[in-house]
Amino acid sequence: MDRAADRERVPAWARRFVAVYLAAFLVCGLLGFEAWPLTGWRLFADARQARQPGWQAVTVDGAGRETPVPFRVLPAGLQGEVQVLKGFPDLSPGERAAVCQAWADAAERRSGGRVAAVRVYRTETDVSHRVGERGAPPPVRTLYWTCPQGGAGAPG
Amino acid sequence: MRRAETLLARLEGWVFAPGDPRRLAALRIGLSAILAVRLATGPYVELAGQPAALFRPISFLRLLDAMPPPGLVAVVQVLAVAAAVLAAAGVAARVTLPLAWAAAVPLIAMTSSLGKTAHNDVLLLLCLVPLLPAPTAEAWSPAARRRPAPGRWPAPAPGRWPAPAPGRWPAPAPGRWPAPAPGRWPAPAPGRWPAPAPTSRRYGWPVRTVLVVVAGAYFFSGLAKLLHAGPAWVASGNLRWALYASSDAQPHPNPAALLVADRPWLAHLLAAATLLVELGFPLVLWRPRLAWLFVPAAVAFHAGIWMAMRLDYWPMAATVLVVMVDWPALADRLARRGAGGPAVAGAPSGERPASSAADRR
Repeated sequence: MDRAADRERVPAWARRFVAVYLAAFLVCGLLGFEAWPLTGWRLFADARQARQPGWQAVTVDGAGRETPVPFRVLPAGLQGEVQVLKGFPDLSPGERAAVCQAWADAAERRSGGRVAAVRVYRTETDVSHRVGERGAPPPVRTLYWTCPQGGAGAPG
Repeated sequence: MRRAETLLARLEGWVFAPGDPRRLAALRIGLSAILAVRLATGPYVELAGQPAALFRPISFLRLLDAMPPPGLVAVVQVLAVAAAVLAAAGVAARVTLPLAWAAAVPLIAMTSSLGKTAHNDVLLLLCLVPLLPAPTAEAWSPAARRRPAPGRWPAPAPGRWPAPAPGRWPAPAPGRWPAPAPGRWPAPAPGRWPAPAPTSRRYGWPVRTVLVVVAGAYFFSGLAKLLHAGPAWVASGNLRWALYASSDAQPHPNPAALLVADRPWLAHLLAAATLLVELGFPLVLWRPRLAWLFVPAAVAFHAGIWMAMRLDYWPMAATVLVVMVDWPALADRLARRGAGGPAVAGAPSGERPASSAADRR
């Protein structure tokens, strides 16, 4: 270590900058506070249970056939379905209709077929029941909401 | 109270101790390069086409009703990538690095505006913050190649060195310095400047602040698990159920996920190891050699998550590598090996072998 460096003084602005930045970083981390890009670092923080509640969105064609909305192959902007569905009960009927419309449009663009309605189901899966390499039995589903294309939608 | 003050003073002394400009430059190069790759490959224009009904904004994006328009996003993305590449190269880094960061923040915020905070780029953004006002391009940059370290060596006229101010010139080790003619210094061989004392307090604090951020990120991830799940995070079937659910959600069963989930003992072991690595990570600040344990563990942890759950955390793993590895020490070691032995022997204090002096620029 050379003596010139030892004699140097760190500017006051640098001290204040580091103090404020680290304080904000530590407070967000300790309190789990989200002020993005500062974050509470909740990565897989909850303990998962074998029985896992979830949601499923399906499109219905003119013949009444259901097809799960293929979120995985839709554009990036439509792939936040897990969170959108989690917040589905908090949406107004108008907001639900707008969400369903967005999914129906994307599904129609993808498949070329016409979507008559979008149905939203609550699911419950027990991942501890296995058949081979897949979960079994199929998830229990309860119809939560139906969005007819061009209509406002209705429960069940 | 007195102990707390002493501890705080020691902490301050550590953060603001002198540092090597090359370590700071290594952070600039590595983190800017990761940012450039991330920004060049991100789905920002695709996200911009999101229907407004699905927009779940985060942070400052709440000011908008929908994702920004694709045209604007494309312009910002090009600007951000160009600035990040220039910052990595050390070109006008005082401007290009803050510009790259400022342009990257709204783009990366878009990826977290689908309803869930995506943490894979957050550590990178946070590690870049201390670099924004720092002199990151005083080594390993085109400007540093062209000039000696500022304030230390006056720029000589070609073939001529101005007489140093009295008391400002270090006395050369006997026999190692050619005696200059009065008022005249021999020109140094191109690319072989005599090494000035490399450390300065200006270069130390950004590096150590970033080290705290990386260590803190892992520690707080572990702490959140303890606070929200408690011992059940390790002791229950938590990891098994998460891996089964993840495998079931993938188009084909995931062999890596099933390998762990089918073996309860392995799932408990990996869960415990994860918590230990996360909570123990700050130990590397106290004992830097422990990085040899924690850094490979963290990289393996992210690789395992990708293999089992297909969650892409490579920017976080790469950030850890860039920040925690002492690149100048590695460069010196390689230079010494290339020179066939410890060429430092007999060098004056603060001076490194010629090859490493050249590396410094």
